[in-house]
Amino acid sequence: MEDWKLEPAHDLGLPMTERLRSLRRESGLVETIGHHGFWASVRAYLKSWHRLRIEGRENLPAEGPFVLAANHSSHLDALVLASCVPARLRDNVFPIAAGDTFFNTPVNAIFAAGFLNALPMWRKHAGPQAMRELRQRLVDEACGYIIFPEGTRTRDGTINRFKAGLGMVVAGTRVPVIPCYLKGTFQALPPHRAVPRPRKIILRVGKSLLFDTCDNDRAGWERVAQALEAGVRELAQES
Amino acid sequence: MTAANRHRMFFNLPEAFAHPVTKVLFTVVCAVLVLTPIIVRALAASGKIKPAHRDELMKRYRSWLIIAPMMIVPVILGSYWTICAVGVLSLLCYREFARATGLFRQKLVSLTVVLGIVLVTLSVMDHWYGFFVALGPLVVGTIAATAVLADRPRGFIQRVGLGVLAFMLFGSGLGHLGYFANDSQFVPILLMLLFTVELNDVFAYMSGKSLGHRKLAPQTSPNKTIAGSIGAILLTTPLVAILAHFVFLGTALDIPRHLVFLGLMVSVLGQLGDLLLSSVKRDLGIKDFAATFPGHGGLLDRFDSLILVAPAVFHYVGYILPYGIGADQPTRLLTGG
Repeated sequence: MEDWKLEPAHDLGLPMTERLRSLRRESGLVETIGHHGFWASVRAYLKSWHRLRIEGRENLPAEGPFVLAANHSSHLDALVLASCVPARLRDNVFPIAAGDTFFNTPVNAIFAAGFLNALPMWRKHAGPQAMRELRQRLVDEACGYIIFPEGTRTRDGTINRFKAGLGMVVAGTRVPVIPCYLKGTFQALPPHRAVPRPRKIILRVGKSLLFDTCDNDRAGWERVAQALEAGVRELAQES
Repeated sequence: MTAANRHRMFFNLPEAFAHPVTKVLFTVVCAVLVLTPIIVRALAASGKIKPAHRDELMKRYRSWLIIAPMMIVPVILGSYWTICAVGVLSLLCYREFARATGLFRQKLVSLTVVLGIVLVTLSVMDHWYGFFVALGPLVVGTIAATAVLADRPRGFIQRVGLGVLAFMLFGSGLGHLGYFANDSQFVPILLMLLFTVELNDVFAYMSGKSLGHRKLAPQTSPNKTIAGSIGAILLTTPLVAILAHFVFLGTALDIPRHLVFLGLMVSVLGQLGDLLLSSVKRDLGIKDFAATFPGHGGLLDRFDSLILVAPAVFHYVGYILPYGIGADQPTRLLTGG
């Protein structure tokens, strides 16, 4: 049961553009309505245009904190994962998106924050401080992250090596990480296309993994990345 | 709805300046906005103020270039513009309050407060006083009821208490400022209130700087002094009394004791409103509610003095005048009835 905390918004006093790009950003009423409306529409779109099917739905988290980690081949990936999260959690689930793509202009930042509820990760200077902030928020606020450990979309449809960055967020914590495999998003909207094709999309949700025994150091982060990559590849091989 | 009423609501511009108080206040505000940078630069050039102080004054001045038109233009344009502007101000003030206190995390309570503020604004636009008054207990009850739905008894009192306080201050309280717009004399009344409440802050600041250093409420607002508070009362009260004499000329309110009481009310409640929001900030450990206006802080930091003044003046004027605010205008404009 949640105690009452007389605590100002963590992004209080930040100018609008800085606030949208802040990892401490907290949604207000308007943004919450925007998120729910957007994700309901996305869900309807994915069901009708891509005949989305979810396998292993019972493995989806019922409450935070959690991390959904998946292979990445399309801009549809984050939409599929976030729209499958239970509605009551959706306002507290943050896709971690490339800052230089989704937050590079104020208009993009408004869309990414106001509708996607994304948090930025700047690829060129994703320092340990940003990772620490993400880790702290995950533990303190019991929220959910959607992370693509490959770091970028695959250009040929194959799964690339998982980077260790996710390990910096979860190693040594009791936060469950759920490996997911996305099938069909590359065919529907590969990186070189602008308009999605009506291809079937399947989301396979694996059993959650815990990394509380992993040390929060480079070796531990690598272990996290390897275990997750193995988990996603295993899901990919399921018929 | 007659053509004259529609005119007053949407296109009041030529008639807005019919009253002498409007003309005087409008001219004074324009003159202050034009002369301030000249005076500040002259003082800086003569070495009477330091460059850092000059920069701070100019930063505040630039914010006033936005705040003053925001306050005056809707009033000049017409009553509906005024009511909508007050409605938006109420919502933005609530947003700042909710983000500062953490109430924004309670989505159902927050949604109820916002809907309550919207309903207050609609009831003011409708000029339906019965509904406007009824919304107080109705929204308060609804806030408590929606908080129950979350099934989280821990923190229930705090959630509901903060929601009720927010609605009463920014919905019901500020709603009275909008309700003045239903009166045929709303332009001079509102300009008088806005002008004197803001000037009350300036008087307190100036008196405090020049006359004494004994703190008024050191734990709540360390910069406020007793001399500043008394100075503001001594300067604001006669100013309000003189302006109100011309605004309410020949009415039951136009006698010295009522005019002086009105002036006292504006000054004392203006200062209390300021201290009230300062208490909230001290309790939360924050300096400003937001960073909307450089040198001022957020909207709440600028408009806090109006929050207690608006309902008190509204009801005092309504109590003294035989038919109250807006009695000379048609009612239930939107709902009929």
